[in-house]
This record gives sequence, structure tokens and C-alpha cells, in this order.
Amino acid sequence: MTSIGTGYDLSASTYSPDGRIFQVEYANKTVENSGTVIGLRVKDGIILAVEKLVHSKLLVPESNRRILTVDRHIGMATSGLLADGRHLANRARDEAYNYREMYRESPPLKEVVQRLGLYVQAYTLYSSVRPFGVSTIFGAVDKTGPALFIVEPSGISYGYHGAAIGKGRQIAKTELEKLKLAELSMREAVFEAARIIHLVHDDSKEKEFQLELSWIGEETKGLHLPVPKDLCEEADRKAREALETFE
Amino acid sequence: MYRNTYDSDNTVFSPQGRLHQVEYALEAVKQGSAAVGLRSKTHAILLALKRSTGELASYQQKMYRIDDHVGIAIAGLTSDARVLSNFMRQQAMSSRMVFNRPIPVNRLVSSIADKAQVNTQEYGRRPYGVGFLVIGQDKTGPHLYEFAPSGNSYEYYAMSIGARSQSAKTYLEKHFESFADCTLEDLIRHGLHALRESLQQDKELTINNTSIGIAGPASVHEKDVPAGGSFRILEGEPVEVFLKSMVPKETAEAQAAEAPAAEAPPDGAAPAQAGDQDVSMAE
Repeated sequence: MTSIGTGYDLSASTYSPDGRIFQVEYANKTVENSGTVIGLRVKDGIILAVEKLVHSKLLVPESNRRILTVDRHIGMATSGLLADGRHLANRARDEAYNYREMYRESPPLKEVVQRLGLYVQAYTLYSSVRPFGVSTIFGAVDKTGPALFIVEPSGISYGYHGAAIGKGRQIAKTELEKLKLAELSMREAVFEAARIIHLVHDDSKEKEFQLELSWIGEETKGLHLPVPKDLCEEADRKAREALETFE
Repeated sequence: MYRNTYDSDNTVFSPQGRLHQVEYALEAVKQGSAAVGLRSKTHAILLALKRSTGELASYQQKMYRIDDHVGIAIAGLTSDARVLSNFMRQQAMSSRMVFNRPIPVNRLVSSIADKAQVNTQEYGRRPYGVGFLVIGQDKTGPHLYEFAPSGNSYEYYAMSIGARSQSAKTYLEKHFESFADCTLEDLIRHGLHALRESLQQDKELTINNTSIGIAGPASVHEKDVPAGGSFRILEGEPVEVFLKSMVPKETAEAQAAEAPAAEAPPDGAAPAQAGDQDVSMAE
């Protein structure tokens, strides 16, 4: 970050002399300081899990959800600026709806993600806007089977077997790599996801957090739904226990 | 001229990934006088402190009715609030027109949050300089939401915004667990106690500077409230009976001191006030 203060980092429409666009890198910084979000692509479905940092005990726990539904079979979770995430969710819903109108079938996730990538990229071109301060994990079960993608502030998107964004992404990725994702069932994956979120959460440094889980697959007949309360609580409890024995 | 290289424009991220203009907009909310909101299983209420510019002037308007089932209290730039509340009224009307039902409170708050987000991302505008507490009732019961210029909105059991609101928040955090089963009268008393915490020294709540907004069935002190308990604002004379129900501050503190160690010491609010940085800018 040697170019800070040289004036090459004040606009998304300015390259630095060595060809970087600092505003996009700073947008990534926003994401890197936010709560961890992970996604698991397993043999018969997708799990999304969020470390929802709770900034006040006056918040209504069940309300203020961070995982959003884009289409019947598509879910997304963002890390970064919350309001930007909701903007992107609305756009994703429009894209999915347009695809349905045009082709009369449910949109494949890849298609929605690519269109969103174009949209996000447009915000990296002009000085009149700033890039999105969010990375988003998209999950779906479509005609190609389970699919998992990340869209970054640059507009780039990749498919993943296991995805992690936000503050704890490095530790989360290491944990995800240890799993045999292709062999896990959805139920097993829920417990793994909960365990990873608890593992990456730094109790000493961080505020309180709440675990939020959703899934798509066999268990939900292909719909994107929150993980049922009892299973969610069981996963939460087991994750705490696992962590205590681990330490 | 600027405090910071990266703060002149809301389309610029700082190297730490922050948006300074948006953070400054959040400060604008703290310049406005305090508003408090809380809810029980049956009611959601708002309380606000109104300012007056002088003896000859009237007091400002702090609450707006949006629809039969929704009302707001504001802190910050009043003109921005009027733009946003007009928009909320349009959204509420359009829901009645298109879907033949009152708009869910959550949907209404999200609609202004989405509108505010755009102003944090595009050049040539500024973020809104006003925060809302929104109360309302819908199919899922009474609700309380906070809306902020950053485009965020959250649902709370109780919340306060505006100048010195941290002291009110401290009160709410101490008592919120009992709110769910409160009667409307008790809920209002808690609200007034919380609002009192945000007052400057030697000021007190009067029928002139206090507004109360209610969504839910009528209180024993109210007349002519429709059966559904639609949103209404109490100001002036009708507020008096509630102000009289308050426990004087000295008595309340004495009781707290007598209570076992679980209670905070009588000057418990002092450290919180120290953390409230906008105190000097309050008026």
C-alpha cells in the first residue's frame, strides 16, 4: 500500500502507475473486516452459514436475517456493508425473475451469477460511483446439481466446493479443505458449518455473535430455506462442545 | 480543509475500507434531540424530546403518522425526514391499493433503507442526515425498527437515537427483559424514564417538550381510540397523566442503591455519558 496519499487511490476510474485500482482493493478491505460467511457444496445440496455479529443486546434475535433468498432455489449471504448486500440481493432477484420470464424455467445459478458479475463490475469503472463493499456467496441446486459461487467487489466470480469470505476466511478455508465435501450429507455438513463458524469466531476480540444457517437440497425438496430451529440449535450446541474439548 | 483525505466524497473508500461521508451522516442523527422506542407483546411505543428555539417559538415536530398502523419518530435533519416519510406514505398507500392490505412494517422500513443505500454509493448526492425509529403493528404483532442513513435497518426490543441517546440506551439495556409483559402504562413509564436519561442537567420533561406515539390498544387514560388501536400521537395535555406516573429520579436512584449488588450504582449512567461524544454539540 505504498501508493496511499499519492492521489491514485481516490477514484475507481484511476489506475495507479503499476496498474492497480485501489478503490476496488479498499472495497475488499471492507469485506475483510466483516463477519465470516461460509458455503459448503456437498453431494446432495448446499449449506450457507453466517457469523452474525450482534452489536446490541436489544436486537430481536430471530429478526434481522443476513441470509437472503434470491429465487425459490437460490440463496445468498453477504459479508461487508449490509446495505450494499441488500442492494445486490434486489438486483439478483430481478435477474432471476427476468430469466424466468424469458426462458420459462428456473434460472441456473451460473447464469444469475454471471449477470451479477457484470453489474458489480460496472461499479468499478466510474468515478461517479464506488464499488460494492461486499463479497457474496451464492448457493443453489439447479439442473446442473448443487452450485456454489462467490462474487467479489471487482465483479469477478468463481465456482467453489467450499467457500469462505470475511474476517475468518483463512482459518475457515483451512478447515474446509480438511473435509471430504463430496461425501458429506447435508445434515453432516450443517454440523461442520456450525463448527467452523464457531472456530473462526474470536471470543476475546469480537462482540457476541449468532449463528445463522440455511440450506438447499434433498432435505428441502430443492428450496432455499432456513435450517430448522431444532437442528440449528443442536448444531450450535455441538459446535460449542467440540470447541471446548478442542482447546 | 478536510479532516481526512478520504472524506470529501461518499463514493470513496478509505484504505481501511470505510466510508467517511456515511459515518459523518450518522453523526448528523446525533445532533437531533433524542427519541426512544420500545415494545411489549401488545404495544409498540415512541417517546421523543422536542426542542424549541425560544420562548416565543413553538416546539418542533418529532413524530409522523405514516399509515393507520405505522408511525415514526425522527432525529436529525427534519427536511430529509419529510422527504422519506412522504415516500413511506406512498409505499403504504400503494400496498393498500395494489394488495388491498396494510404494508408489513418490515417491508416499509426496507424500502427506505434501500433508498438510502443508493445515496451512499453514487456521486452528486449526500447520504440522508436523519435516523428513524419506526413502530407499527402487522400480522406478526407489534414491531420496532431503527433506520439509519447508512441504509441499515434493524429490529429491536427497545432503542434510542439522537443526542445523548447512549444514556437512554443504558437504561433500556438494563430493563428491556421486563418490557414484553408490560402494560401500556408501565411501558410508557419505562420509556419516559429512558428519555429522561437523555436530558441535559437542570432540564426536565414537560407536557410541552414530550411526544408519545402509540401503536396498539387504548390505554385507560385515552379516549376515542379505534378498536384496532391505530397509531396516534399524544402531545400537550394528554401527556400529563403519564408524566405524573413517573418515579422521581432521586427516589428511583435511592431504590437502586438499596437494592442488592445486581443493580448498578446510582451514578451508573455517568460512564456511559462520558462515552457519548456528541454531548457538547447537543444544542
